[in-house]
Amino acid sequence: MSTALQPTAAEQALGVSLPSRRMEDWRWTDLRARINKPYPPQKVQAPARDVERLLAASPFAKIAKARVVFVNGALDEKHSRLSGLNIGPVDAKLKITDPVIALNSTLKAEGVRLKFSETQDQPVEIIHITTDAAPRALAVHNRIEVADGASAFVIETFLGEGDYVLNAVTEIAVGKGAHLDRLKLQDDSSASTHLAQSIYELEEASRLNDVLVLKGSALTRQNGTLAFNGQHAEAKISGAYLLKGKQHCDTALVINHNVPHCTSRELFKCVMDDDARGIFQGKVVVARDAQKTDGKQSSHALLLSERAEFDAKPELEIYADDVVCGHGATAGDLNHDHMFYLKSRGIPEAEAKALLIAAFVGEAFDMVANDELRAALAGLAESWVVNK
Amino acid sequence: MLEIKNLHVKLEDESREILKGLSLTVKPGEVHAIMGPNGSGKSTLSYVLSGREGYEVTEGSVTYNGKDVLAMEPNERAAAGLFLAFQYPIEIPGVQTMQFLKVALNAQRKARGEKELSIPEFMRFVKERAARLNITQDMLKRPVNVGFSGGEKKRAEILQMAVLEPSLCILDETDSGLDIDALKVVAEGVNALRSPDRAMIVITHYQRLLDHIVPDVVHVLSGGRIVKTGGKELALELEKNGYTDYAEKAA
Repeated sequence: MSTALQPTAAEQALGVSLPSRRMEDWRWTDLRARINKPYPPQKVQAPARDVERLLAASPFAKIAKARVVFVNGALDEKHSRLSGLNIGPVDAKLKITDPVIALNSTLKAEGVRLKFSETQDQPVEIIHITTDAAPRALAVHNRIEVADGASAFVIETFLGEGDYVLNAVTEIAVGKGAHLDRLKLQDDSSASTHLAQSIYELEEASRLNDVLVLKGSALTRQNGTLAFNGQHAEAKISGAYLLKGKQHCDTALVINHNVPHCTSRELFKCVMDDDARGIFQGKVVVARDAQKTDGKQSSHALLLSERAEFDAKPELEIYADDVVCGHGATAGDLNHDHMFYLKSRGIPEAEAKALLIAAFVGEAFDMVANDELRAALAGLAESWVVNK
Repeated sequence: MLEIKNLHVKLEDESREILKGLSLTVKPGEVHAIMGPNGSGKSTLSYVLSGREGYEVTEGSVTYNGKDVLAMEPNERAAAGLFLAFQYPIEIPGVQTMQFLKVALNAQRKARGEKELSIPEFMRFVKERAARLNITQDMLKRPVNVGFSGGEKKRAEILQMAVLEPSLCILDETDSGLDIDALKVVAEGVNALRSPDRAMIVITHYQRLLDHIVPDVVHVLSGGRIVKTGGKELALELEKNGYTDYAEKAA
């Protein structure tokens, strides 16, 4: 009983059908309705000065020594600093599929495989720059691999100007006993759409610490699919939203506890002002054999306007009988007692608000295991509050 | 310095008056104790002076060095030199105590047109005062009041006072929840701040705090009004006879 809809002009231009609210996972983010004009896929040459301006705008520009720069979806070796990095071609084939991945394949995304065979202490930044041009769609597909016993810190930064649909797939493979810290900053153009999928594979005794900071784009949908393939692995995925205007940001994570003795933690701290809307959908699936699973997720919203909205949808799907799983969600405005206390000590209203907002998202930033990066994020939150 | 005239206050969402024509004059260098039974309006007075929302002044005036306090925002009152040590200090997760002190001090200095302190200057300034109040470096690194014991919270309030150097300190039931040793530390901290330019209003239910912070003037607050004013011996008399006489007078 197919009820195939007539393709929209946007769907024709992209070459895929877009998910609509008829699909449960997309009920809050109806891409079919929201992407309402054609974004034909296009390779665009970027003027060097646009690239350089955007590169300099990365809050991590002075922190990461090695970097891999993508400009308008293509690797830009000239602006990259690849020395010491193990970079190869990425295999286009992916194990899972969903609308974001389907679009990524259709758009013939380019990208690299970044492999860490030894421990690398210095953060490596992958920067995605999109420059202003006619409305268009573009895609990237990268793979971050940490070999058995190795460890690495990777920053993924998205910056852009103009009107575009950016589709980004990132594969993350953490080997046995390996450790990966990732920090993703999505600060795409305020007119853009950001569609992302992270696919995580964690082997035995590995550790992943992922922090996702979302403040750009008019429309963001980021999916994450994590698989525990080996026992005693641990995954932390934290997130912070800084949204204003009519921004819409939806994160949908699925954590698959396929094997016993793994731990997962999700913590999202979401700030919404004006008419912004934030969504967090977290699903934890515990397979029948995955005894002693410890899975917890929580999402907290700070609503700075009466029109701002936050939706949380936690889901637990548990087939094992000896597990500890839980979820929690809260939403509220700034605490009046906190505001009064700060003001009673001479701190003006605007500064008091800024302190409390920074403290709220700071709980997510605290997960970043690097002082310089944490300070850069604090600065980012501060300027967000000031320029709100 | 502080001039309260015929102050009438009610809660915003209730019609019942809490303060019913309170008048009080405090001069520089003086320490005034305000004593009274529960429900007499002691805490309301402290909140109205500091500008907490939820109260409505229906009549009367409060001026501080000639300025209309009631027209000022809480932060403007603080910058003008008013400080309330809270009966129940508020916990603020995620804001480090040291950072809070720095932002507060610099905001006040800025409001008064003074230069902000450099980080090393500020650190030295705070550490010196913290040491006198047995406040550890660890406490300064923790979020404001979070996980502090009752005594630690009260000491932290006095530290804020010592750092911000207000010209009028209002201590609201600073002795509540303190054992005698903690009380002595707090009282020493307060006494160290006594100066000819600085006035204090010590609000308390019990006389014992006044053994350690000796007041110049004692007022009895009952039924929303000051019903008796005397010297420090008045506190002792209250300790002996209780508030019964005054409660009747108010009714």
